[in-house]
Amino acid sequence: MNDHSPENAHAAAADDIDTLAGEYVLGTLSAAERHAVERRAAGEPALREAIDAWESRLQPYTELAPPLTPSPGLWSRIERSLQPVPREHRSLWQRAWHSLPLWRGVGLATAAASLALGVLLLAAPESAAPRYLVVLTTPQHTQAGWVVQAASAHDIALVPLGTFELPQGKTLEFWTKADDWSGPVSLGLVRPGQTLHLSPEDLPPLQPNQLFELTLENAGGSPLGRPTGPIQFIGRAISL
Amino acid sequence: MARVPRARPVAPRLGATLVDAVKEDTLTTLDHATLIAACAGGDHQALRQLYDHEGARLLGVVQRIVGDRALAEDIIHDTFVRVWTRAHTFDATRGSGKTWLFSVARHLALNHIRGHQREISVDEQTAEALDAERTSAPAEALDHFAWHGRGELDRCLAALDADRRNCLFHAYVDGFSHQEIATRMDRPLGTVKAWIKRSLQSLRECLS
Repeated sequence: MNDHSPENAHAAAADDIDTLAGEYVLGTLSAAERHAVERRAAGEPALREAIDAWESRLQPYTELAPPLTPSPGLWSRIERSLQPVPREHRSLWQRAWHSLPLWRGVGLATAAASLALGVLLLAAPESAAPRYLVVLTTPQHTQAGWVVQAASAHDIALVPLGTFELPQGKTLEFWTKADDWSGPVSLGLVRPGQTLHLSPEDLPPLQPNQLFELTLENAGGSPLGRPTGPIQFIGRAISL
Repeated sequence: MARVPRARPVAPRLGATLVDAVKEDTLTTLDHATLIAACAGGDHQALRQLYDHEGARLLGVVQRIVGDRALAEDIIHDTFVRVWTRAHTFDATRGSGKTWLFSVARHLALNHIRGHQREISVDEQTAEALDAERTSAPAEALDHFAWHGRGELDRCLAALDADRRNCLFHAYVDGFSHQEIATRMDRPLGTVKAWIKRSLQSLRECLS
């Protein structure tokens, strides 16, 4: 699995790493050694791969321990300890696939949006610029509220799929953030039920999975340059 | 090493959950990786399926290491909570879902016993001094474990002496420390340590 370097020193180092990984998986290391290996493995791919390899090789021999039926109450104990999975740990497809309301709510909207985009794409001149589609849904995915269509970072349209009742003294603010940006960037204020065309000059190129969201802010928008109110609609860009 | 293929995504259908799709797709072979991915998506039923299929085997593995039923069940509880919260870190390119599941349980069990000094408290120098006084090595060369016919490692394990295999399995299955293995095998501590290192090297050479 590890490359054997022609230099003996390298080969010896690889052997040491492999033996250490084997001892870690066997379980013979002391508590301190185990923690040291775990810390090292986090930043040392060769060690991590060696551990993975030993785990895979040895796993079939866990069968040497006879099975034991757990107590009847164990599952409910486990279930009581489960917290909801944090949203940021779910990938887009996982969130989408596990959300039947999303499928019901968004099905028609995305079909319509796809059709519209299909027509757009057919009618548009040949262009190397990627196009992006974002369906913004409520955070619980119960309702699709808006579609973002973007030919580029300088050509973004926010299209409403329905109406939205704004509380008195509040406004919707439109934000975007790519994975490697330090924070969201405001794209301006949004009027419910109206399409917003944007051509921001200084926005970096759009990226797949880029986040778009609408937050509820006090009239005039967030004074801090970052979202302060609750997210009303949120979605991530899919490259077309 | 052979790369394990990525988890095969199961196409979602309206009116069916991912777990239903898994049930229909694989009646006999449980697709651990797909269920773990479903856990990352917040699907309790996926975790329940993993528990139903592997709970007893995992409990057997952990009980053998910690030697205490109530503690073993605590560790299985922690294992499934960890699988739930860490499911998004599972990477199918690094190994199978089953391997990941068992390694989570084993390492929780090992961390517990190593952290709580189950070890027989003989300091190593004393033990080695006692070892040196021994005149005759015990003539024990029978397998302590019915290890045949379980994995790809079989062929290479067969090339080792029985007492060296015993050392490996007392560590892997029983969770014994070097000192515990030395006591169980009635061999010097230094010998056991060297045997395990050399056995791992032999296995690796045999595999490459």
